[in-house]
Amino acid sequence: MDSALIPKGVQRCSLGKFTLLIAVVGAVLLWGVYAMLLCWIKGLNQTNMNDYYGFALWIWADLAVIALGGGAFFTGFLKYIVGKDELKNIINYAVLIGFICYSSALLILAIDIGQPLRGWFIFWHANVHSMLTEVAFCLSCYFAVLTIEYIPLILENRQLNKVPFFHHLAHNMHGIMAVFAATGAFLSFFHQGSLGGVSGVLFGRPFGYREGVFVWPWTFFLFTWSAAAYGPSFTLMCTKILEKASGKQLVKDNVVDLLAKISGWMILTYIIAKIADTLYWALVTAPARGHTLMDFYSNNPVYGIWILVLEIVLGGIIPAIILVVPGTRRNGYLRMTAIILGVIGVSVNRWVMVLQVMAVPVMPFDFWAMYYPSWQEVATTILPVAYGIILIALSYRYLPIFPQEPELNPVD
Amino acid sequence: MKKAADHTKPKRYGMVIDLDKCTGCGACMVACFAENNIPFKKDESEKLLSITWMRVYKLSNKKKYPDTDICYLPRPCMHCEGHEGHSPCVSVCPATVTDYSTETGIVSQIYTRCFGCRYCMAACPYHARYFNWWDPVWPKGMEKMLSPDVSVRMRGVVEKCSFCYHRYQRAKDKAYVEGRTDVEEEEYQTACTQACPARAITFGDLNNPKHKVYELKQDPHAFRLLERLGTNPKVYYVSSREWVRKSGDNYLKHEEPGHIATKH
Amino acid sequence: MKIDRRSFLSLGLGVAAGSVLSPLPWKLTDDLSIWTQTWPWTPVPKDGAVHYVHSVSTLCSGGCGIQVRKVDDRAIKIEGMEGYPGSDGKACNQCLAGIQKLYGPDHIQTPLKRVGNRGEGRFAPISWDEAMSMVAEQLKKLRTEGKSQTLGCVVEREYGTIPQLFKRFAKVYGSPNFMTMPSYLDGYEQIFKIMQGEEAIPGFDLENADYILSFGSGLVEGWGSAPRMFQANSLWKEKGVPVVQFEPRLSNTAAKATQWVPINPGAEAILALGLAHVIIKENLFHYDFVNRYSARFEAWEDGQGTEQKGFKDRVLDRYDPRYVSRVTGVPSSQIEKIAREFAKAESPIALCGRGAGHTPGAIFEFHAVHALNGLVGNINRKGGVWALPKPDYIAWPEPALDEVAKKGGDTPRVDGAGTETYPAASSLTHRLPAMINDAEESPIQVLLVHGANPCYCLPDTETVRAAFEKIPCIVSFASHMDETALMADLILPDHGHLEKYQDVPAPEGLSVPVIGLARPVVAPLYDTRHVGDTVIQLAKAMGGGMADSFPWKNYEECLRKTLGQHWKTMEEKGWFSPDFSGPDWNEAFETPTRNFVFIPERYGKDTEEAGVSPIEVEGDPITFPMVMIPFDHVRIAAGPVGNAPFVMKTIEDTLLRDKDIFVQVHPKTAGKAGLEEGVLAVLSTPKGSAKVRVHVYDGIQPGLVAVPRGLGRGSGDEFMADKGVNVNRLIGPVEDPVSGLNAAWGIRANLTIA
Ligand SMILES: Nc1nc2c(c(=O)[nH]1)N[C@H]1C(S)=C(S)[C@@H](COP(=O)(O)OP(=O)(O)OC[C@H]3O[C@@H](n4cnc5c(=O)[nH]c(N)nc54)[C@H](O)[C@@H]3O)O[C@H]1N2
Ligand SMILES: Nc1nc2c(c(=O)[nH]1)N[C@H]1C(S)=C(S)[C@@H](COP(=O)(O)OP(=O)(O)OC[C@H]3O[C@@H](n4cnc5c(=O)[nH]c(N)nc54)[C@H](O)[C@@H]3O)O[C@H]1N2
Ligand code: SF4
Ligand code: SF4
Ligand code: SF4
Ligand code: SF4
Ligand code: SF4
Ligand SMILES: [Mo]
Repeated sequence: MDSALIPKGVQRCSLGKFTLLIAVVGAVLLWGVYAMLLCWIKGLNQTNMNDYYGFALWIWADLAVIALGGGAFFTGFLKYIVGKDELKNIINYAVLIGFICYSSALLILAIDIGQPLRGWFIFWHANVHSMLTEVAFCLSCYFAVLTIEYIPLILENRQLNKVPFFHHLAHNMHGIMAVFAATGAFLSFFHQGSLGGVSGVLFGRPFGYREGVFVWPWTFFLFTWSAAAYGPSFTLMCTKILEKASGKQLVKDNVVDLLAKISGWMILTYIIAKIADTLYWALVTAPARGHTLMDFYSNNPVYGIWILVLEIVLGGIIPAIILVVPGTRRNGYLRMTAIILGVIGVSVNRWVMVLQVMAVPVMPFDFWAMYYPSWQEVATTILPVAYGIILIALSYRYLPIFPQEPELNPVD
Repeated sequence: MKKAADHTKPKRYGMVIDLDKCTGCGACMVACFAENNIPFKKDESEKLLSITWMRVYKLSNKKKYPDTDICYLPRPCMHCEGHEGHSPCVSVCPATVTDYSTETGIVSQIYTRCFGCRYCMAACPYHARYFNWWDPVWPKGMEKMLSPDVSVRMRGVVEKCSFCYHRYQRAKDKAYVEGRTDVEEEEYQTACTQACPARAITFGDLNNPKHKVYELKQDPHAFRLLERLGTNPKVYYVSSREWVRKSGDNYLKHEEPGHIATKH
Repeated sequence: MKIDRRSFLSLGLGVAAGSVLSPLPWKLTDDLSIWTQTWPWTPVPKDGAVHYVHSVSTLCSGGCGIQVRKVDDRAIKIEGMEGYPGSDGKACNQCLAGIQKLYGPDHIQTPLKRVGNRGEGRFAPISWDEAMSMVAEQLKKLRTEGKSQTLGCVVEREYGTIPQLFKRFAKVYGSPNFMTMPSYLDGYEQIFKIMQGEEAIPGFDLENADYILSFGSGLVEGWGSAPRMFQANSLWKEKGVPVVQFEPRLSNTAAKATQWVPINPGAEAILALGLAHVIIKENLFHYDFVNRYSARFEAWEDGQGTEQKGFKDRVLDRYDPRYVSRVTGVPSSQIEKIAREFAKAESPIALCGRGAGHTPGAIFEFHAVHALNGLVGNINRKGGVWALPKPDYIAWPEPALDEVAKKGGDTPRVDGAGTETYPAASSLTHRLPAMINDAEESPIQVLLVHGANPCYCLPDTETVRAAFEKIPCIVSFASHMDETALMADLILPDHGHLEKYQDVPAPEGLSVPVIGLARPVVAPLYDTRHVGDTVIQLAKAMGGGMADSFPWKNYEECLRKTLGQHWKTMEEKGWFSPDFSGPDWNEAFETPTRNFVFIPERYGKDTEEAGVSPIEVEGDPITFPMVMIPFDHVRIAAGPVGNAPFVMKTIEDTLLRDKDIFVQVHPKTAGKAGLEEGVLAVLSTPKGSAKVRVHVYDGIQPGLVAVPRGLGRGSGDEFMADKGVNVNRLIGPVEDPVSGLNAAWGIRANLTIA
């Protein structure tokens, strides 16, 4: 029925099956929308956040998706700036994932703030000293860039492309995409960093606080680096998921291998820097404020030293080694394991850098603040996932996301 | 008004709280609630959801019976000076809602500008900032008790102790009308200071040698909370008990409070 | 125009671009943000002319001077009144939140008549005329039936024109049953009678004392006038005055004291005698006072001519520190040290009245503690304990009594006070419930209750309730709904505390007499009536001699005439302090020997034979292996009036969490019972059981379970009602055989996991 919209040379499942998928995911989406409306109409009392724990589940999700969406800027950077041309075969998907991640992030922020209708005060009354101001500006600008990067993809839809204006528009936009990719990469470098700065500048919170250079704490650089390192892994993971779901190979192995290798080397260098940062923090920064490392990891029911091991060893060192060593990287299972570990690793890092920061007591007579999300928070956090699945499904079905797909899956 | 300010030396309003005298009665908290139109809900026992600009913490020496000891510690906003006015909360607020005044040393908060991101709360190690999770509601008839000096805050914004800034404004207006450029020590006192039945709180200009706080803050037993973080708070505490002073900051096992350089 | 796809799209883009460039979306965005800043449901306080009204608080018996900040006709904040004796510019948390009582939802708005079952809380509004005639009819009927003595009145304290109007009403009506609520002041009242021969109230010159021995008094927990005590406490800190607190639990007072001395609960009297032992043995007592102005320190001859051991020998014989140490748990070395320091101080004071003083305690305790003050001669002296004359500014002419009044008035009181068994007592209200329950027909047929809340405050509230069920007619004059008003048949609401004139005698415990004037800060909000007017009008409605005994047009006239020339001063200043210079020692005591009597006549024998032993608490130790003690907390009002919402907000989460009360136990006690911090447990005593949460606290003697007093209100606004447990429900009175006062300091208990 919708075959006229489906790109040439590829096969898609029946409309009925597709509709069913959309309906199921759509139901989850509606649940999330309901929770979101509750938060807007009744206020943030719908969450389990409190005055000690003012950042919670969805802010972690926010940071995590932005890190994971880092595949878009970094792949773009590699393709357009460094000139890794093979990556053109995955860049569309990377951009799509980036677009989803960033639009989700903005949506989450709109739910998270207590006065969404005044959210624009962040621009109007901007405080240049605030990392969050930097985040807001860069995030918005980069989202605009991603939109610009995503639009030509939409315009390549078989029917839309028939409109000459759109055809030309898409063509021209492709022509100057390097400019946007460069702008995007620059913006992204910055705001990933500012997000890292969010906790790094909190000199009242010894757990999050890091020294650094000029106005930027080390976490500024570590966040950018880790987003660049783990983002591509996430792109690969999403590719794998889509391949599984569609039952088709969509990207050639050499492309995957190249991106995995780059991701591996980035993770390796990142994790060395992260270990150095952790050591300096544990041995110099924290003790200067009267804390030992173990103060941050004991006397509470959740945050044990295991979390540091999970983040650095399981989510850093191991995937780095697997992805860097050609033998292990070329093993599909090991590669996938490394990618998943990496995604977990960076997500744990973001969790730690927002939520554990809230949990650790600072005043000596204070206590660990524990928190679990309310269903409204869970629903609003799942909302972007559902939205992402739907957008990927629609894009995959109707847009030529994977240039290599027809070649890899010839239609008789 | 601008002129008047120019003629006066910059002030650093602050407090010295005598923990030997504080009985933990909570009168300062109640006075603050009443002075500043602070809302109240049916259940206020969940302290992490209870707006208390002034909160009296209970400290313990954690020793066994009968060597146990407790001490109360009232905690308003510390009006941290940080490094050149970069208080932990001021520097992070993206919308310039909160500011460090170089004229008074008071950290302000503009409720109608705050959009509720709560970054400042994350930044404040003293938990002096509170979010309005709910719409404030006064049972029918009880809104009569609201003071016109302080605006009622709407849901979704952050609030905190203002050092009863409206009282400063009142005192300044009075001085202006009377042709003076400066407010006297007793003309500007916070509601909690005025209320404390133990007279444990002393408030004044830390820069002014004629104000009582100037002298009191130099007590060898004076300390500030979490000085080591560099927050540079303007609320001082005095206690004759060593364990209490030690509870004011984090120390490594071998460290002794007082031996660690801190700036006053 | 033909609309094709292209033009449609161009149009769409045009509209989009146009609206973004037009001011409309920006204007809307701005308007929306402004709307969030002026939400119509967020109240905007009205501005107006600011002024202050001075008054005196009747919220509790502290009687502190207050100033109320007003904006136009709204009262917005209560603060302390500068210069008021005792409180001097300060008020405690309860008064600071007092505006909430004025405007709060539990302020009774009109006379109410019970329509549901008793205690069910269902009332219907009625008119004042109807309500007044109902009460008058009941009272007339009873009187004609010759049962005038079955009228009972319960008020909180005896002093001031309002209680005195009730007392006068009962008297001319023909009933002796005018009762006040128990407090530690009852103990002091009896002690002054038997040791000093005086009708007096205690004044403690704490500001000038230089050594404080507190036998469990919650000096910063609501004992006396809280603001005054806090200031005294700070003064002690400044002057380096040692404060020694004997208490089994590390209370706030204990934590503030120079020295906290844990003691086995109930052993305070023995400890005091142990200290006396050291003082006597080491000849540290005040020779002049003891030798010249006291009696029965040495051996004496009784009425039969037999020689009796004097105080000195009894104490020397029996209260050796080693023995005292064993009973009290206080090391004898400490007893000796403290005794020496106490005796050597210039103006040492020993105080008693446990916690905030809501229950009296054993008379031996008062005796032993006051004897210490006698030993050091710190009676009626600067920095000492003063016996202040009871307020005598109320000099109404003696009313003429008719036959009924005389006959009824001569019957013995229902609570046994002033009878042969308890001659020194003036009120033993805690005995009333049992008396009613034990009788076939309630000896109280009509009960008038004002300012007191016996259904909440008396021990063993279940028994109290049962007794109140038996009283045919209960009239409450409450201004706010309370547990007793809930049990009433009729509520004739008084004005609230900021809505009326009233005289407020002496801030509790102050060493100079003071009479304050409460005045209307705002016009009464509702259809309430001054309780003084109600009583006067009731008397007039009774007609005859009763009406004649209340010759005033209304209460205000009564008050003005009573205060006479002082009225003006009080209106201007807020209070008036009658001249008082304490008499010298040679004139101070009105005992038969005109001396300070170390061994009062009445229980000389008892001490000789039985010695003083700790008051045994109720319950058997097998079923109830622990001992429950109530404790007072300064952030919980335990009197007739409960916490205002603001004060509820200050209660720590280790005392109350949601609706659950926390009880405090030592880690060892918790461990033995398998209890951990925060768990739900069942606290049971011989009187009942309750669901509680456990707070493990190092600062309490093992074996004890401490329960905060003042929670578990069965009425009031949603902010305080039904939170926690009323400890009075779990504890019963233990009668002191000598004084009749309630001597219970605890009750045996068990705490098991829920
Ligand atoms: N120097 C010194 N003084 C001490 C002590 C010490 O070790 N050294 N110990 C202290 C201690 S721990 C205690 S308990 C006290 C004890 O002090 P007391 O109670 O004075 O004890 P006893 O000296 O044994 O005297 C008790 C009196 O009771 C009489 N008696 C015996 N049986 C009965 C009876 O059935 N009925 C009556 N009515 N009388 C009876 C005895 O004849 C005796 O005269 O002394 C304290 N004083
Ligand atoms: N033969 C005989 N036996 C008797 C009695 C009798 O009359 N004759 N009387 C009985 C009676 S009534 C009693 S009360 C008991 C008394 O029996 P015990 O209680 O054994 O009393 P004491 O032997 O007086 O002393 C107790 C111990 O406490 C120590 N001590 C003193 N001060 C302190 C302190 O501050 N801290 C600590 N930790 N220890 C301290 C003393 O040095 C001593 O070793 O004896 C009973 N047994
Ligand atoms: S009012 Fe004074 S004594 Fe009471 S808690 Fe506050 S500071 Fe302490
Ligand atoms: S105490 Fe907290 S809120 Fe107050 S100035 Fe310091 S950081 Fe800011
Ligand atoms: S919550 Fe309000 S005051 Fe705090 S940082 Fe955000 S905008 Fe600023
Ligand atoms: S200074 Fe004013 S605002 Fe701050 S805690 Fe005290 S009363 Fe409240
Ligand atoms: S002691 Fe009583 S009268 Fe005095 S301030 Fe407190 S509540 Fe008010
Ligand atoms: Mo003994």
